[in-house]
Amino acid sequence: MAKDMTLLWGSGSAPCWRVMIALEEKNLQGYNHKLLSFDKMEHKSQEVLDINPRGQLPSFKHGDNIVNESCAACFYLESQFKSQGNRLIPDSPAEQALTYQRMFEGLVFYEKAAGVIWYEYYTPEEERHDSALKRNKEALATELKLWEGYLKKLGSGSYVAGKTFSLADIIVFPNVAYLFRSGLSAERYPVLGEYYALLKDRPSIKASWPSEWLQDTKGEDTLKDI
Amino acid sequence: MRGQGVSHLSRLELQILGDNTKMGWGLLAPIRSQTVSRSLLYNRRLPHSSFTPYFFQHFQPPSGLTLPSETMAKDMTLLWGSGSPPCWRVMIALEEKNLKGYNHKLLSFDKKEHKSEEVMKMNPRGQLPAFKHGDKVLNESYAACLYLENQFKSQGNKLIPDCPAELALMYQRMLEGLTLHQKMIDDITYNWKVPEGEKHDSAVKRIRESLTAEIKLWEGYLQKTSGGFLAGKTFSLADVCVYPTIFTIFRFRLCEERYPKLAAYYNRLKDRPSIKASWPPTWLENPRGEDIMKDI
Repeated sequence: MAKDMTLLWGSGSAPCWRVMIALEEKNLQGYNHKLLSFDKMEHKSQEVLDINPRGQLPSFKHGDNIVNESCAACFYLESQFKSQGNRLIPDSPAEQALTYQRMFEGLVFYEKAAGVIWYEYYTPEEERHDSALKRNKEALATELKLWEGYLKKLGSGSYVAGKTFSLADIIVFPNVAYLFRSGLSAERYPVLGEYYALLKDRPSIKASWPSEWLQDTKGEDTLKDI
Repeated sequence: MRGQGVSHLSRLELQILGDNTKMGWGLLAPIRSQTVSRSLLYNRRLPHSSFTPYFFQHFQPPSGLTLPSETMAKDMTLLWGSGSPPCWRVMIALEEKNLKGYNHKLLSFDKKEHKSEEVMKMNPRGQLPAFKHGDKVLNESYAACLYLENQFKSQGNKLIPDCPAELALMYQRMLEGLTLHQKMIDDITYNWKVPEGEKHDSAVKRIRESLTAEIKLWEGYLQKTSGGFLAGKTFSLADVCVYPTIFTIFRFRLCEERYPKLAAYYNRLKDRPSIKASWPPTWLENPRGEDIMKDI
C-alpha cells in the first residue's frame, strides 16, 4: 500500500511535514518520496506540475488518487487506513468536535506564523512596511496567547485536542516546532514549550524531523521578542 | 398544503414558500403573526427559532411523536451573518442532514455584532459563524461541517463518498476551497483592510492576477470532472464548502460567458433545496452585488 504512494516534498515546509507524520502514524513507511529544493525552483518542475497544477509541495499520490492539500491528505489517510497504526480522529462526539475545531484553527495559526516568519519571502521588497510586519507580529502574539490558553485549560501533558494524539496535533505541531526554531521564547509561552517537549520525541515526529535541524540545532531568533 | 396566514407575505416570499412546499421540507421565510414590511424582514434581527419548517407549522405530527432530527437540532445554536460564505456552509450542511429547527440568531457585521459579548463567549475570535451542539463548540465552518456529517451519517444526504477516488477528490477540492476563498477575500477587502500608506498598485495587480489564475483553475476542474459536482457524481462536503464562495464570486459579476462550467455549476446548484433554504436573506432583495469581478 505504501509502495503505491508517492510524496514530493521540500525541507522547511510544515505542510509536507504534516503528511509525513500522518504516514508514519498510519504505519505506512516505505512510501516513495523525493526531496525537492524550493531554492532551485524544483517545486515548479514538470514532475510536480504533473501531479499538482499549482506547482506546490507537498504533492501526494496514492495510486491514481491525488491529494496535494496536506490536510486533505491527512483526512484521506486516516479514512482509508482507519484500522492500522494509530487512530487519528476520535469517535466520541466531544473529542471529535474539538479535534476538528483545533485542526482548522491550526491552519489559521499557521497563516499568522507565516505572516511573520516568511514575511519577506511572501512580500516583494517594494511592498514591505515595518508597520505591516508590526501588525503581523501583534496578530501572532494574540494567536499564541489563544493557544497557550487552549493547552492550559486541558491540563499538563495533554495534546492539543485532549488526552490523545490526533490529526489536530499533526496540523499544529509542525507550526509550533517552526515557531520555537525561529526563536519563540519558551519562558513567555511555557505551556506551548511543554507541548513542544512532549511531542518532539514522538516516533512519527522524530522519524520525519527536518534533517537540517539535526545538523544545525540553533535556528533563528526572528521571534525572540514576540 | 398552505394554511392560513400567508396573505401578508410578499410575492418573493410566497415564491420561496411555494418552491419549498413542493419539496415538503426546507427552511422558509419566518412565520410571523403580523404583517411586516419587506425591508424590516431583511434588516431587522430575527428572534430565536424564527425559522421554523412550514411543515411543522401546518402539519402537527401525531402527539407523542417527535422526530429525532428535531430534538437534536434543538440542542444546536448558530450565530451567523448574512452573506458570509463560512456561515452559509454550516447552514447548508444542517439542511442536508435534515437538522431543521436549530436555534439561530442573525447578527450584523456592519453593527459590529460579531464582536459582541454573546459571540465572544462562544467564539473568543469574535467571528461568525459561532456554532454549538450542546457544549461542543465548532466555530470553524469546515470543522462544523465535518462534525455534522460524521455525527449524523445515517440521516439526510450522505456528504462524504465511500469510493476512495471520489473521497480523495472531495477532500482535495474541499481544502483547495480555502485557497479560493482566501484569494477572493484578499481581492475584495484590499481597499478597506490595507492602511493608506501601505497600499501599492503592484499588490492590487498581483492579488487580482492570483485570483484570476485560481478561478481559471476551478473552471478547469469542472471541465475535467464528470458528474456535475466538485468531487464527481454526487453532492458532497466539497460542494457544501466551496459553493458559497463560487456564488459570491458570481454575485460580484464574474462573467458567465468567460467561465461557462463554473456558471453552469453555480446556476444548477442554486435550486438545490438546502441552498435555496439557506440563501442569505440580505441577498434576496438585492440579488446582484457590485461588479467588482466583471473584468476577471
